[in-house]
Amino acid sequence: MPTLLVGTRKGLFVLSSDDERREWAVSAPVLKGWEVFHAVPDPRDDSVYAATNSFVYGATVHRSQDRGETWTRAAELGLPEETGLTLEKTWHLRPGREAEDGRLWLGGAPGVLFRSDDSGATWEAVQSLVGHESRDRWNPGAGGMCCHSIQLDPDDPERMYVAISAAGTFRSEDGGESWELANSGVAADFFPDNPFPEVGQCVHKLLVHPARPERLWQQNHCGVYRSDDHGRNWERLEGNGLPSGFGFPIMLDPSDPDTAFVIPEEGAENRVTPDGRLGVYRTRDGGQSWERLDGGLPHPAWVAVLRESSSFDDGGVYFGTQSGSVFASADGGDTWVEAATHLPPILSVEAADWR
Amino acid sequence: MLAAEAGGQRRFEVEADTVGSVLRSLPVANLVFDERGQLRQLVNVYVDGVDVREHDGMDTRLTGSEEIRLVAAIAGG
Repeated sequence: MPTLLVGTRKGLFVLSSDDERREWAVSAPVLKGWEVFHAVPDPRDDSVYAATNSFVYGATVHRSQDRGETWTRAAELGLPEETGLTLEKTWHLRPGREAEDGRLWLGGAPGVLFRSDDSGATWEAVQSLVGHESRDRWNPGAGGMCCHSIQLDPDDPERMYVAISAAGTFRSEDGGESWELANSGVAADFFPDNPFPEVGQCVHKLLVHPARPERLWQQNHCGVYRSDDHGRNWERLEGNGLPSGFGFPIMLDPSDPDTAFVIPEEGAENRVTPDGRLGVYRTRDGGQSWERLDGGLPHPAWVAVLRESSSFDDGGVYFGTQSGSVFASADGGDTWVEAATHLPPILSVEAADWR
Repeated sequence: MLAAEAGGQRRFEVEADTVGSVLRSLPVANLVFDERGQLRQLVNVYVDGVDVREHDGMDTRLTGSEEIRLVAAIAGG
């Protein structure tokens, strides 16, 4: 059953539908009082994990083993004192590979990565990234210095990627023991004296294509990019159909490595739909051209979609807005239905397949 | 929120010498304290109605059957 885990500023909502993805049922909120920055299903054991934050009680992770009815909280999560850092927010969760029993990855602010090997009960900071030699060249974006993307290579058990705003993309070839910078060709226009630095890029979202894992996509503060060599080199893609290179979410078609979807915003200083013309922009040629899709989307609309607020599965593409609507498409973006409305501001959308 | 995180339990009876020892024994200790063991800024603690910041904070001594209340500060949106 197609399911969406929708994290909001006021808890987590679960949306469920059938294979047509046109009618959606919306649950009552769970994790009430928590800001749910990201919630992700773990298909290995049918758990759900949520990166949860409270302005009173701090940053943590919750786990449910009964699809959201009851939750347990991480027992140990924090940064060692010798790092000189304290955990500000939890941002993004990624279950480990099928064979990695109990392993999860967690990204947070300030630019930190954690690993758990006990299904989220305890978390250990990944020192190779926390203490990376380039850290003094990282800077926080508007949302803090968040580690918001964690991608595992589906073919190589040792290769993985993280992305941090504003530090850039990092690739590990040894399961997280060491990290290489992966920002060649990615602009950082906010450094006018050096717009292509080695590190310091403001990547907004990074994805690996599941069927062609050497292909990476990223929506950046300074454009949309594709890499065909595991992030060693990047090609900037906008200017041929996109109204703006600025945006946060990016979605893929798992069956077609040449297809991607973005939702542009006017720009860094006005982060909202350009000209009130809400559209999802799709490329089917690897980013060489983009077409605007707005069937079923409201008009005019001035919305903002955050970096975690889009998702995709084998049969659908989804995004949620800060104004509390979730939109779903079951035909590759051609037409959309409003799956939920009047939710609290949406922070994250993640597709699940609950049978 | 704290009660929900404690499995719905709102009251605990604890034997301890200091306020800090009491709070660290609770199942929500890692929400009340940060990773350095400091009381979170927006968590207020009262002993028999008096803010512990007016006493010795977490080192405030307990002698008998005091009632300790945890209250989230008025903040946020």
